Amino acid sequence: MSNLQTDQLLQMETTCGSLLYELQIIWNEVGESDAERDKMLLELEQECLEVYRRKVDQANRCRAQLRQAIADSEAELATICSAMGERPVHIRQCDQSAVSLKEELKAIIPQLEEMQKRKCDRKNQFLEVLEHIQKISNEIGRSTDNPSKVVVDETDLSLRKLEELHQQLHALQKEKSDRLKQVLDHLNTLNSLCLVLGMDFKQTINEVHPSLDDSEGTKNISNDTIERLASAIQRLRKVKIERMQKLQDLATTMLELWNLMDTPIEEQQIFQNVTCNIAASEHEITEQNTLSVEFINYVEEEVSRLEDLKASKMKELVLKKRSELEEICRRTHLVAEADGAMEYAIEAIESGAVDPASILEQIELQIARVKEEAFSRKEILEKVEKWLTACEEESWLEEYNRDDNRYNAGRGAHLTLKRAEKARAIVNKLPAMVDALVSKVTAWERERGIEFAYDGVRLLSMLEEYNILRQEKEQERKRQRDQKKLQGQLIAEQEALFGSKPSPMKLQSGKKGPRMSTGGASSRRLSLGGAMLQTPKPDLSHSTKATPRLRPNKKSDLLSHNQDDSFAALSAGRRGLDVAGLPVKKHSFNASEIESPMKRKPFSPVSSAMLSKVNNTTNFLEDLNKVHGGTLQKTLPSNNTPLTTPSKLSTVTDDDENRTPKGMPIHMPSTPSTISVHMQTATTPAPATRPTTTATVLFGAKTIEEEYEEEVEYSFEERRAGFVLPKTLIKTIVQA
Amino acid sequence: MTAVLPTSAGRELSNPPSDGISNLRFSNHSDNLLVSSWDRTVRLYEASANVLRGEFMHAGAVLDCCFHDDSSGFSACVDNTVRRLVFSTGKEDILGRHDAPVRCVEYSYAAGQVITGSWDKTLKCWDPRGASGQERTLVGTYPQPERVYSLSLVGNRLVVATAGRHVNVYDLRNMSQPEQKRESSLKYQTRCVRCYPNGTGFALSSVEGRVAMEFFDLSEAGQAKKYAFKCHRKSEAGRDTVYPVNAIAFHPVYGTFATGGCDGYVNVWDGNNKKRLYQYTKYPTSIAALSFSRDGRLLAVASSYTFEEGDKPHEPDAIYVRSVNEVEVKPKPKVYPAPPP
Repeated sequence: MSNLQTDQLLQMETTCGSLLYELQIIWNEVGESDAERDKMLLELEQECLEVYRRKVDQANRCRAQLRQAIADSEAELATICSAMGERPVHIRQCDQSAVSLKEELKAIIPQLEEMQKRKCDRKNQFLEVLEHIQKISNEIGRSTDNPSKVVVDETDLSLRKLEELHQQLHALQKEKSDRLKQVLDHLNTLNSLCLVLGMDFKQTINEVHPSLDDSEGTKNISNDTIERLASAIQRLRKVKIERMQKLQDLATTMLELWNLMDTPIEEQQIFQNVTCNIAASEHEITEQNTLSVEFINYVEEEVSRLEDLKASKMKELVLKKRSELEEICRRTHLVAEADGAMEYAIEAIESGAVDPASILEQIELQIARVKEEAFSRKEILEKVEKWLTACEEESWLEEYNRDDNRYNAGRGAHLTLKRAEKARAIVNKLPAMVDALVSKVTAWERERGIEFAYDGVRLLSMLEEYNILRQEKEQERKRQRDQKKLQGQLIAEQEALFGSKPSPMKLQSGKKGPRMSTGGASSRRLSLGGAMLQTPKPDLSHSTKATPRLRPNKKSDLLSHNQDDSFAALSAGRRGLDVAGLPVKKHSFNASEIESPMKRKPFSPVSSAMLSKVNNTTNFLEDLNKVHGGTLQKTLPSNNTPLTTPSKLSTVTDDDENRTPKGMPIHMPSTPSTISVHMQTATTPAPATRPTTTATVLFGAKTIEEEYEEEVEYSFEERRAGFVLPKTLIKTIVQA
Repeated sequence: MTAVLPTSAGRELSNPPSDGISNLRFSNHSDNLLVSSWDRTVRLYEASANVLRGEFMHAGAVLDCCFHDDSSGFSACVDNTVRRLVFSTGKEDILGRHDAPVRCVEYSYAAGQVITGSWDKTLKCWDPRGASGQERTLVGTYPQPERVYSLSLVGNRLVVATAGRHVNVYDLRNMSQPEQKRESSLKYQTRCVRCYPNGTGFALSSVEGRVAMEFFDLSEAGQAKKYAFKCHRKSEAGRDTVYPVNAIAFHPVYGTFATGGCDGYVNVWDGNNKKRLYQYTKYPTSIAALSFSRDGRLLAVASSYTFEEGDKPHEPDAIYVRSVNEVEVKPKPKVYPAPPP
């Protein structure tokens, strides 16, 4: 090559020389002047120089460009290295002479490219990390400035920075997982709260953030969500605490009510799960639905039921106490406060205007007061009783004295005589008795400053009246005596005239009319003796004390009404009339309930025909058994009436199916309080003799009926399993 | 809130059988409850915890089941097979076969034998300890006059009630022939027979709302005590409806007993005093089976349609376990009409 160039140069030189020679020949020929020739040569040389200069300039520029390129590359390399935090790979050698510029450039370019590639990779790494960071930040809800675009700071792509970013990412990831955990924790808490409160968990979390409900998708874990979750928990917890307190209040009330009313254990057990939580703290209540609205309502209902029960019991108690008070008053002949007070009190309780407890307290106080008063009155009352019995005797004696046949020797005459004797002794003591009583009563009244009332009437006035009456009677008697005397004279005169003596009786009977009656016709207070025993209270008229003489008649009225009572009457008849009243009283409340198949006159003996009738009556005993409860059973065995004799019973229970042992009384005694029901061992219509009146239906009768037609019986299970006896087997059965 | 019904009826067990319940029994050692059903399963529940402990699937409907001990039991299946069920492993092996569906199964602690009654008119005794295989386990086959409907054991006595109202009483120590051959004192088909816990007799119920109380003692005095009474009946508008009495269960402590009928009622009776002690609130459908727990504190009630009116829509089958109050089962002392002065 170089040869070629030198050849070219040589050639060029030769051509230049030949051209010059040619020019000299031309000039010689032309005869150009030397000056012209010199000028031309100078021109030529200048032009040549020009061309050289241009070329040199060009080369120079090219070298500068090369240098620039190298420098640029080196600079870029340096920037990249610095950006990547690495020591620059290429350190420019000082001995520039060794390598030409082009080589240098050639050497540096691959390095640069390598570095650029590395930078790009690094940048991608950065981008990736940053994207992650951004994503997590977004999830967490920490919004960066421009969330859509990730910007990488190109100047700092060092590993350290990358490391930093990684750390940041890690921190964020950790935070994210923490948050996730927190959210899950919250969700768990929320779930358990919802369970306890009986709320819809899904709906609750949906309200907080819809993404939370999604079990697979990512859950929103932003601050906002967590806060809302926390506040939801807070809210639910508050609700829970409120409800818990409510429930505990209810439970406490319930326990109190149970305690108060001795509620049976089985009833309490139903609410065991309520009362066991009575002292539980908020976090201890975890059972499902314990605090749901329904459950609380349910408990509330129970409590209100118990309260109603308590109210009714209270009312009962008030009534009981009230009647106790009245009873005491009655016994001590005090007049209780107006009867209306009780109705008023009950109305007040019902309307809720008054607390039954306070009324109860008032009544208790009243009872205590009355008891105290009764105690102070006791002595006087005893004396009053004595006085009254004496008065009774007095009135009886009066009556007796009026009876002109009293000395007729009849049955029991000696007894009446004796009684009269005694009565006279008592009557003699009466004035002293009255005086003593008066002084006692006055002393009592003076001491207390109140009137001594006997059944609402002042005792002193009663005594006074009695004294007045007595005096009147005395006068009357005196008048009578005078009259008698007069009569005697008259008779004596008449006798003297006519010689006969009219019977004194006739005259006496004529006198009977105007005489004061001791019955209830006249004013009670004015009447004497026994009539005084009547108390002003109308309800007492039913008590045995008030109308002792009426009793037998009344009883017979009652008895004639129904068969049931006739049993009692039977027994009563045996025991004597005097005691009969009591059992009848006991039974009579059943009277309206029982429709006896037949009626019988009271006291007529139960004939055997009657009994057989009784026995023929379908299910008579059963009916009685059902309707009466314990009453009949009480009377029957103890009185041993013909009805319970075993032989008769056997006619009742002659159904061979039941095989009731002879001699077993069907109706065993039972206390009325027990709920236990007797077994129905009595007859039922047998299938063959099914009565037309009441149809007995076997449950699943259709199938059983079929069974009879088929001749082979099958149980429900066999029918269900489709089990059929093989033909041969059936045959053998039929043969057998 | 479903707390209202169960409180009166007892707690309803979860995972009940999906078809009619043929029997249920409490274990003698725990509150485990074994339940056989027409849905071809035998289920083991832990009644106190309301947990289904195990389930065995058979080839056909299971008509009866009983415990061996707390770890195993036996089942009687419509596929003629008697199976032994091991609860811990969930495995079952075949004890043997009858020629017809097996109606009832009992395990005698006294004899250490399994006794099964079948519609093939036989009774078979099995020795469950024998290695698997019928020739090894079968102890004996005892022909019965009719298809066996119900079995009950007390001590060494076995009472077998069959179709045709036959009742055979066996002594397990001598199974060659019945100790007593009786006819049911009730006029209708026998539904259930159960021995008194004191071993003196047995109660027998029929499809016609009646229960007979019988005594083993054949002397005149002993037989004088027997009687029958009506129950599970309804009188409505002049029509008396009489329901089958499906189940009898004796209280292990007091000797009183509960009966369950197709009317859905469970009644508790005091046989000695001839009184009804208690009536539980009505269950949704027929009472198919009853069982008291070993201490008598729990009563399992199977409320399950017993097919008395054929295939028809009915209430879902359910098992209720109720705690028993002493008042409901304790005999009330006799009260004399006039206490001696």
